[in-house]
Amino acid sequence: MSSGHSNDDGEEQSLFSAMTSYQTRGKAYTGFLNLLTLGAVLLIAFPLFWMFSTALRPDAALYTTPSSLIPETVSFEQFRTLFTNTDFPTYLLNSIILAAGVVGLTTTAATLGGYGLTRIDIPHKKFFARTIIFGYMFPPILLAIPMFIFWRKLGMINSYPGLILAVTATSLPFSLWMMWKFFQTVPKSLEESAMMAGAPRFRAFYEIALPMAKPGMIAVAVFSYAIAWNAYTLPTVLMSDSSKWPLTVGIQAFLQTDAISWGALMAANAIAVIPSFLFVFFLQKYLLRGFRAGGVK
Amino acid sequence: MASETTEWTAHSTEPAGVKDTLVEFLSRKRVLMALTLLPALSLFVIMIVVPVVWTIAASFNSISAFSPEWTWVGLENYRVVLSDPQFGTVLSRSIYFATGSVLLQLVLGTGIALLINRSFKLNSVARAVVMLPYLIPTAIVAYLALWMLNSQWGIINQLLVQAGLINQHIAWLGSPELAMLIIILVNSWKFSIFVTIMVLARLQGIPTGFYEAAQMAGASRFQQFRDITLPNLKGVIFIVLLLRGVWMFNKFDIIWILTGGGPINVTTTAPIYAYKTAFNQYALGRSAAISTILFGMLSVVAALYFYRFDPSKEVRVE
Repeated sequence: MSSGHSNDDGEEQSLFSAMTSYQTRGKAYTGFLNLLTLGAVLLIAFPLFWMFSTALRPDAALYTTPSSLIPETVSFEQFRTLFTNTDFPTYLLNSIILAAGVVGLTTTAATLGGYGLTRIDIPHKKFFARTIIFGYMFPPILLAIPMFIFWRKLGMINSYPGLILAVTATSLPFSLWMMWKFFQTVPKSLEESAMMAGAPRFRAFYEIALPMAKPGMIAVAVFSYAIAWNAYTLPTVLMSDSSKWPLTVGIQAFLQTDAISWGALMAANAIAVIPSFLFVFFLQKYLLRGFRAGGVK
Repeated sequence: MASETTEWTAHSTEPAGVKDTLVEFLSRKRVLMALTLLPALSLFVIMIVVPVVWTIAASFNSISAFSPEWTWVGLENYRVVLSDPQFGTVLSRSIYFATGSVLLQLVLGTGIALLINRSFKLNSVARAVVMLPYLIPTAIVAYLALWMLNSQWGIINQLLVQAGLINQHIAWLGSPELAMLIIILVNSWKFSIFVTIMVLARLQGIPTGFYEAAQMAGASRFQQFRDITLPNLKGVIFIVLLLRGVWMFNKFDIIWILTGGGPINVTTTAPIYAYKTAFNQYALGRSAAISTILFGMLSVVAALYFYRFDPSKEVRVE
C-alpha cells in the first residue's frame, strides 16, 4: 500500500506488530473460551456417558474397582432383566399414558385459552395475567399435599385421570402464558378478511389461526412433555398403588428393595432419558422459541 | 337519526343482513369466549384454587392420613408448628439450600450461555449437549447421582482416588457435613441449564449492531460485556433470583431421593418437613398449616415480583 514511502515503514511495521499481538491475544482468549466450553460440555456429558456405559455391562463387570470407563464387553443383559424380571414395562407404559394425557390436555386448553385471551376483550386482564404467573410459581410439593387432601375427599387417589389433571395443573399456567403471547404474533387481519368473505369465526380460527400457531403449540407440547415425564412429587403423593407408578417413582422402588443391580437401574434410567434426547435433537429451536415467547422462564 | 332510520328502511335487505351478522357475531363471540377460555379456567380453578382453599380450611382441623374425618382445632396446628424449634431450623436450611443453588446456577448458567452464544466450530453439537439436562427428569438425575456417588463402587470416588485427591472412598451423602453441599451440586447440574436457556434467549435478542458500534468506538471486550451484555441481562437475572429462589426453596424431589432429609435431618428442608409431617407422622392438618405458611411466603415473593414486573404489560388483546 505505502511501499514507496520508506519513511512510513516504521510506523506501518509497528501497527502491523500491534495487530498481530492483538490477534494472538485474541486467539489465546478464544482458545481459553473454547477450553472452558469443552469443560462445560464434558461436565454435562460425562454423567450421561457413565449411565450408558454402566447400563451396557454385564453384572460381573459392575462391581470391580477400578472400573474401566468403556465396558470391556458390551452386553444387553441389563435391559433383558429389566423387561423380563421386573415391573419396568408397567412403569414405562404408565409414564407414556401420563405424558400423552398431560400433553394433550395442556396443549388443547392452552391453545384455546391463548386464542381467547388474545382475540376477545375480556375484563380484568391484569388480574388474569397475574393469576397465571402466580399459578406458574407454585411448586409441585405445595400442590401435592392440598391435592391429596382434596382428592381423597373425592375418591380420586390412585386414579389416572386424577393424576393427569393434577400434573396438568403444573404445566398449564406457563403453557397458557406462552400461547397468549404466541397468538399476538399471529396477525389478526387474515382471520378478519376470511370472516369478511363470509367464513364463520370458528372456521377462521380453525383454518387460519390454528395452523399459524403451530410452532407455539409444538413449544407448549414439548414443555408439557418435560413436566409430565419429570413428574415425581405428584405421583409419589397421589398414587399409592405400585401398579400405577410412572418410571420416576417406580425406579425408586427398585432402589429401596434392592430388587435389581445398579446396571439394570442405569438401563432403566437410560430408557427414561432416550425420548428426551430425541426431543432435544429434533425440537431444539421450538424449545428456545417457546422460552423467548414465554419471556418469564 | 331520523333520516338515517329512513335510509336503513329504504334499503331493507342490506341493513337486516348487517344487523343479523352483527347479532350473530356478538353471540358467537360470547360462545367463543366460553369455548376458548372455559377449559383452561376450569382446570385452573379445580386444580389450583380449590385445593389451596381446601388446604387453608384443613389447616384449622386435625386430620389423620388414614381417615377422612376432620376435627376442628382452631389455631392449634399453627401453635404447634410455630413453637416447634425444628421449624425455624428447617426454614433456615431451605434458605441455605435456595441461596446456594440459585447463586451457583446463576454463575454456571450465565457462563455457559455466554460460552455457547459465540460462534465456533461444532457449536450446534455443544448446544445440543448443553440442552440435554433440561429434559432429563430430576428423579433420574438423582438415581444417576446415587450411583456415581456410591461409597463402594461410585466412579467419583474411584476417579478422585486415582487422581490422588482423596485417600479413601467417601460416603458423600452419608456425611452430615457434605450432604447438603452435594445435593446443591447435583441439583445445579440440571437446573443451571434453565438459567442458560433464559439467558440465551435474552442474549439472542440483543441487536448485533450494538456490539459493532462499540467495536467501532474502540471498546474492549470487557467494556462491551459491562456496557452492553450485562445491562441487557439485568431483567433476566432479577427473574432468575426470584423465581428460581422460590422453586429451590420449595424443592422436594431431588432432596427426598438423595437423602430423604438425612443424615440426622441435616437436609430436612421446609418441603421435606411438610411431607414427613403428612405421611410419616400422619398429621395432615398440621401439614396443611405448614403448607399454608409456605403459601404465605410464596405470595410475598409473588407480590415482590409483580411490583417489579407487570405481566399484563407483555400481553395485549388484538
